[in-house]
Amino acid sequence: MKFSVCIKQVPDVSAPISIKDGTLTQDSDRMVLDAYSASAVEEALVLIDKHGGEVQVVLVGPEKAKETIRKALAMGAASGVHIVVDDVSGLDSGAYAEILAAWHKKSDYDIILTGKQSQDTDAGLTGGMLAWKLELPYAANAVGLTYDNEGGKLTVTRQGDSGQEMIELTSPCLVTCSNDMNEPRIPSLKGIMQSKRKKVETLQLGDLGLDPDTLSSKTSKTKGQGYKEVPGREPGKKLEGDPEELVTELVGLLENEAKVL
Amino acid sequence: MSKILVHIATSEGKIKRSSLEVMSYCKTLADKNSMTLEAVVLDPDPAKYTDQLNTYGPDKVYQVKHPIFKNHLNAAVIEALSKVIDQSGPRLCAFASTESAKEVIGALAARHDAAAIPDVAGFTINNGSVDAERPVMAAKVLSKTSSSSELVLVSVRSGSYDLAENPGNAETVAVDFDFDESGLRAVLKEVLSSAGDKVDLSEAEVVVAAGRGIKDENGRKLVEELAETLGAAIGASRAVTESGLFPATLQIGQTGKVVSPQLYFAIGISGAIQHVAGMANSKVIVAINKDPDAPIFQYATYGLVGDLFKILPPLTEELRKIKGA
Amino acid sequence: MEDKFDCIIVGGGVAGLSAAITLARNDMKFLLIERGEFSGSKNVSGGVLWGEGLSKLVPNYWEEEDAGFERFINHRRLTFMDSDSTFSIDFKSDSFGEKPYKGVIVLRAKFDNWLSEKVEEAIGASKYPDESFLAPNILVEEVLMDGDQAVGIRAGEEKFFADSVIIAEGVNNLLTRQVGLQDDYVPADALAVGLKEIIKYDQTVLEDRFQLNGLSGMSNEFIGTATQGVEGGGFLYTNKDSVSFGLVLGMISLRDSGLKPYDILNEFKAHPVIRDTLKGGEVVEYSAHAVSTGDMKVMPKEIYGNGVLVAGEAANLLMNSGKAIQGMDYALHSGVLAAETIVEAHKSGDFTKNTMKTYRDKLEKSFVLQDMKNFQGAVEFLHSKQMFESVPGLVCDFGKQFFSIKNEPTPKTRHMLSKSVKKHSSYWQLLKLGIKGARSL
Ligand SMILES: Cc1cc2nc3c(=O)[nH]c(=O)nc-3n(C[C@H](O)[C@H](O)[C@H](O)COP(=O)(O)OP(=O)(O)OC[C@H]3O[C@@H](n4cnc5c(N)ncnc54)[C@H](O)[C@@H]3O)c2cc1C
Ligand SMILES: Cc1cc2nc3c(=O)[nH]c(=O)nc-3n(C[C@H](O)[C@H](O)[C@H](O)COP(=O)(O)OP(=O)(O)OC[C@H]3O[C@@H](n4cnc5c(N)ncnc54)[C@H](O)[C@@H]3O)c2cc1C
Ligand SMILES: Nc1ncnc2c1ncn2[C@@H]1O[C@H](COP(=O)(O)O)[C@@H](O)[C@H]1O
Repeated sequence: MKFSVCIKQVPDVSAPISIKDGTLTQDSDRMVLDAYSASAVEEALVLIDKHGGEVQVVLVGPEKAKETIRKALAMGAASGVHIVVDDVSGLDSGAYAEILAAWHKKSDYDIILTGKQSQDTDAGLTGGMLAWKLELPYAANAVGLTYDNEGGKLTVTRQGDSGQEMIELTSPCLVTCSNDMNEPRIPSLKGIMQSKRKKVETLQLGDLGLDPDTLSSKTSKTKGQGYKEVPGREPGKKLEGDPEELVTELVGLLENEAKVL
Repeated sequence: MSKILVHIATSEGKIKRSSLEVMSYCKTLADKNSMTLEAVVLDPDPAKYTDQLNTYGPDKVYQVKHPIFKNHLNAAVIEALSKVIDQSGPRLCAFASTESAKEVIGALAARHDAAAIPDVAGFTINNGSVDAERPVMAAKVLSKTSSSSELVLVSVRSGSYDLAENPGNAETVAVDFDFDESGLRAVLKEVLSSAGDKVDLSEAEVVVAAGRGIKDENGRKLVEELAETLGAAIGASRAVTESGLFPATLQIGQTGKVVSPQLYFAIGISGAIQHVAGMANSKVIVAINKDPDAPIFQYATYGLVGDLFKILPPLTEELRKIKGA
Repeated sequence: MEDKFDCIIVGGGVAGLSAAITLARNDMKFLLIERGEFSGSKNVSGGVLWGEGLSKLVPNYWEEEDAGFERFINHRRLTFMDSDSTFSIDFKSDSFGEKPYKGVIVLRAKFDNWLSEKVEEAIGASKYPDESFLAPNILVEEVLMDGDQAVGIRAGEEKFFADSVIIAEGVNNLLTRQVGLQDDYVPADALAVGLKEIIKYDQTVLEDRFQLNGLSGMSNEFIGTATQGVEGGGFLYTNKDSVSFGLVLGMISLRDSGLKPYDILNEFKAHPVIRDTLKGGEVVEYSAHAVSTGDMKVMPKEIYGNGVLVAGEAANLLMNSGKAIQGMDYALHSGVLAAETIVEAHKSGDFTKNTMKTYRDKLEKSFVLQDMKNFQGAVEFLHSKQMFESVPGLVCDFGKQFFSIKNEPTPKTRHMLSKSVKKHSSYWQLLKLGIKGARSL
């Protein structure tokens, strides 16, 4: 079984952020492996531990994103593919899906995993777009995966609107993974050491028959127009005191001030 | 710029409130921009929603009738919506940001070579461009995103717009839809609903959400009692769904559900940004936390500093009196 | 074991990273292990990296578009404070803007991470780009010994071996104790606790308030009521769009006072002068961390052993002389010297004490141990009760008289001074203090 896991490098969203004149600056310029992508890598590793096979990771991003590929290799992926795009500022999920589709059309795989969304954009589009472009059956927001060796069937448990849906996919197929599925492993020392010896194939857009100059204008159908603060909530009331008092006061407020009871 | 098409999500024979929010807003948007407002319902029995839909003023309603829509299966939804999009030719197609919508919107955009702007907190149309604002970077900031594509798909977070009735009388169009499941390489095997799914969390008017502070079975019971008294849906933080005290379906936040009730109780929840991302649209937020510096107090309308194990019993008691009366 | 390293470095702080860069430049094969998720993630201290050591480690670092530092220092201020006044000695010089800078203000989460990228670059440029590693998120639990020779480390189930180990684990030096170089018991009077807040401003507001220009920055130390009579002092450093603001408090004195560190910090912030200085900022981070007081009596018994060297604050290399805390520059320099010692040992093939000892010799000759020895008096002086009680009171009292103009006969300055002295101290005591201070500085 060959997994191809699409991983994204994202800014560390836990670092403090500020906005000035519509542009965003972060206290730290540290880039990390997207948490949802990491869950996808983890899930692939768990499945090959059980059923055998191999995990390859694919990343579209600048030269510096190689360290993120190394991180996935240190977790246990066997090899990496780095599609180098130095300036990703004009690219949206549609463009990434286009690039990833071009790569996958040339490569062989049984199962593609992506994150259900990415930590920086929270878009959740790439997986579905990629599945469509590759004509693959897919399921999004997976919280569980089991594989049946016999029939080449993958059973996905996805978090739906009313309960969990169990969907059986026949490979080749694509699944987008929730980070509620697992806790990505922390690379061991040995893993970190081995990661340097694993193969990372580096490609340019031209190698995939894509034109870097027109890519963003043709496939990025959305444009970022800057950022703004999230409107704050009105400051509320903080009540302290003994429980009985607190309760009386709260119930009074809910009844008479907020009028929600 | 001619048409707005709104996808109507239904559940248990009712239109989801979040879809009606989108309808309400799109009606104003359509009127302002001299556009036609159309709606599409995929359901085993789509006709039964017509009256309710008419309250929100669509000009036309596409009804796609098929038993397969009893449950969600992405291939069928994409097929049906594609057909309606082809038939209607909208400029803008709007969804409530449900899990089902989130699953199909990317593929649908790819299929129609359209732009997709998911999970927006608000959007508008300016000179042919669809301009939206959506939370990004762990919901710490809003990103302004726009698109001038011929077709733009947006999905809207629940609670972003108020309901506004606008009675009318829509033309209904029954769409021919045959769907052959046999060739599919994706089969829906089973839907596992847990007890907590009885009240639809994302639609609930009152939500009682439990955090790690509830600790154990004991805390869970207190939360359940409060929820029952209020007729509220139960939600939870990730720390709690991970611990197994409540099922994963009840998770609220960035990875979980987005809720926008009138009244939201955060019980023993610290207020991590990923959680807040899913509940900040609530009208009134009550937080109970023993740590006076917990970030949740920055969002709370009423913040109670104290031990939930001491506060919940008298609170439930007091509310029971009121509700009983 | 497939591969044995020339060296394993424990700790990716300033000391460990500086050692790593030096090893990489000398084509050594090494492994650096940091327990934090990344270098800097566990380091709360921010502050000033004094001196020009950084420019030797990373030449022309200031030319990088986003080098890891916040601002360079061209403005220094030492402030004495009583309950309602402050009296400052203020020094600003354009010459401090010349490169290399005399000091740069850093936030560790960013700086250490940046420095670790420099390590990666150095590894990449070395003869063995694939045989040296930075391994974050891993805790070293034990230094492995063969007899009295350090031979590697253990992290969880994993063991790795090397000719040498550099312990650069910072102030809580558990491994230094494990290898027997430090006594298990360290007197608490040699430890302090550092509290720090990062207070954020709009960048232009910050630059206007502190008269900053481009990348220039200010450091301000505080002595007096800042600490509610607890031994210690306060600091304020300007970052790009925030200030690092906090206190360093003596552990014993703090314990005896019965006060909570956070309350002292809040009192400090409520001081009328400080309140005005900090107005309009938003606290975005609060942290606390132990720090050595720079008292040499708690240095490890020895800072080298067979196959092992201790660098940075793990070896208690730090000085707090009142006018500045120097820990990072000492860490940097000791890291470099430790690495150079390993390089020599590698050449000679001798990793025993005989070669390791040269680390100590190098440190003795360098500013690190020279200064620590020469300024021990200053450290004691600073920690004397007068220094944070009567002196600031006296200075501020004098200031109040000297600077107020009252439309009544003004006494001569010398009378003002004597009045202040009588109120807070005696001439005799002051004389003693003066002599002590003059000797130690
Ligand atoms: C990519 C990503 C996505 C995520 N998505 C989500 C998401 O969708 N939803 C989500 O919730 N989280 C999400 N998280 C996790 C999130 O960051 C927090 O870890 C989580 O929300 C914490 O849950 P909590 O507030 O219940 O627990 P804690 O942070 O541990 O807080 C427990 C609180 O209970 C209080 N408390 C304890 N005992 C008592 C008592 N007796 N009485 C009163 N108060 C008490 C404590 O003071 C504390 O404030 C995500 C994280 C990541 C990285
Ligand atoms: C509030 C405060 C303000 C300060 N201000 C200044 C200032 O202005 N100027 C100045 O020069 N100095 C200042 N200092 C002192 C300075 O921070 C330290 O002296 C300096 O950080 C020491 O560097 P180091 O590399 O030796 O140790 P550290 O920076 O502490 O690094 C040690 C590293 O080792 C890691 N580690 C520890 N144990 C293990 C293990 N077992 N396995 C793996 N990794 C491990 C830690 O995670 C850490 O990253 C200040 C300190 C404080 C607390
Ligand atoms: N540049 C990229 N390279 C590789 N995978 C990506 C990239 N961008 C997005 N993905 C994958 O698509 C998922 C969802 O992305 P998004 O549509 O941006 O929310 C991510 O979690 C990744 O698995």
